[in-house]
Amino acid sequence: MSARSPRLLGPFVIATYLGLLAPLVVVIAVSLGPSAVFEFPPRGLTLHWFEAFFASPAFVTAFFRVSLLVGLLAATLATVLGTSAALGLVRFRFFGREALETFFLAPLLVPEILLGAALYLFYARLAVQASIWTLLCGHLVICTPYVIRSVTAGLVGLDPRLEEAAMSLGATRVQAFFKVTLPLLRSSLVSGAIFAFIISFSDINLALFLSGPQSTSLPVHIFSQIQWQGDPTIAAASSMQIVVIGLLILVVQRIFRLRLVV
Amino acid sequence: MDHSGARPIWAFLTGPYALFLLVLLLVPFANIALYSLHPYSPTKVFLPELTFDNYRKIFDLYYVRLFGRTLRLGLITTAASVVLGYPLAYWLARARPRWQAAGLFLLIMPLMVSAVIRVFGWIVILGRKGLVNQALVTLGLEPVKLLYSETAVVIGLVNIFVPFMVLPVMAAIERISPSLEEAAQNLGASWYQMFRGVILPLSLPGLISGCLLVYSLSISAFVTPALMGNPRERMVGQQIYDEVLVSFNWPGAASLSLTLVLITAALIFGALFATRHAGRQAKGL
Repeated sequence: MSARSPRLLGPFVIATYLGLLAPLVVVIAVSLGPSAVFEFPPRGLTLHWFEAFFASPAFVTAFFRVSLLVGLLAATLATVLGTSAALGLVRFRFFGREALETFFLAPLLVPEILLGAALYLFYARLAVQASIWTLLCGHLVICTPYVIRSVTAGLVGLDPRLEEAAMSLGATRVQAFFKVTLPLLRSSLVSGAIFAFIISFSDINLALFLSGPQSTSLPVHIFSQIQWQGDPTIAAASSMQIVVIGLLILVVQRIFRLRLVV
Repeated sequence: MDHSGARPIWAFLTGPYALFLLVLLLVPFANIALYSLHPYSPTKVFLPELTFDNYRKIFDLYYVRLFGRTLRLGLITTAASVVLGYPLAYWLARARPRWQAAGLFLLIMPLMVSAVIRVFGWIVILGRKGLVNQALVTLGLEPVKLLYSETAVVIGLVNIFVPFMVLPVMAAIERISPSLEEAAQNLGASWYQMFRGVILPLSLPGLISGCLLVYSLSISAFVTPALMGNPRERMVGQQIYDEVLVSFNWPGAASLSLTLVLITAALIFGALFATRHAGRQAKGL
């Protein structure tokens, strides 16, 4: 930090962070408080609302059988799709490469609510029933660009001559890729996969349109509970999402550069 | 490095995702374009004839107000995000690595938590018996109605989208050498003169992309206005949601969606142009 930056910058930055984190702190506090109305600061500490969460079939299904499952599937498939796409874009020169790259990152620019509506009307036209699979397909559209970004960043920092050296020592192209390139890409692959999971796990705009009655994701269930004025079980479910995402982002920060993915 | 030999390996690598996006991004939007040209029917959802009526409808007073409100709230949100985000971006760009890492974590972590959870937090803070009103009552003042208003929506939107302002601005400021700042200050410029003459013009491309991101995200917001806004003063995102899932006016929803897509696309191209222009000007300095 330059020695002569304005004196108010520090307090301003602290205040902005307080505002940024306030809603999360409040949600966690409400989930630990004894009161049945949303109360901050809490008047005591209890795990009552977490017990209520695990006792609620709707919340448990939304968390584990829908959001967690779809998130893991989306992360796995997006990693395969995205890694292969990034390899094609970085390691080869062909006509239309830049246009293809723009196309691949386009889902990041499409407003999610519109993508959700568009996919809903598309499925309706084909008479496809909402299920975790329709949700998964939607999530793959928005998750894969994060994998492409992170793997592209990893590949750019990787010397292609390493692979060529392996090939000149007798490895086939496929062997060279799996024995040399892939291990070196490990941290950017894992970061991409984690981000794909997070994007799917916390998505609400697509899920509002693509979740069926049997496949309500956690954010959608939280949304409807807020509308129906539910109890602090909402806060407990939210706290669990906050903790999961916070830990995963810490992992990305440890193994890779966070900014290359976001 | 393969320069596209006999077998186009790149096509096998990029093909699957390209195909996937074709089917699940381009075709659905083409489908929306088609829906937007059919007349709405309350009993059959849509009729087979073709018409521009759904677009004409957007010039009805209700929809003009809807778009006007949405674009205005987007503008306020963007302006507030600049005011809050720019100083944070400057601090992050110039912070020591350890502070920068902590700062980035605290910026990106809330960004990744579902919007509905952050909105829920604000409902507790701004509610009738929320934190703000408790503080007012403690000070002996009357509690105020904060929730379900435009103010609440803007607070929510700024809170959710400000990281999209900070990240590009921070990247732009990081590319400006700190020695430029020192040189300007050694030559006698005050910090604010230095900021106006050096940092602000050189970070303009980042600022433009940040504004563009925040604006296009806020005008298509749904969760925040749905949970924190006045139900009688809706934003376009809510109208689209309702016409798709509640009133089943799919042609109407389709024309609204395409209008919003066109506005967003116009903004992106405008911003690309402005960024190039700003980049050229910055180089000319």
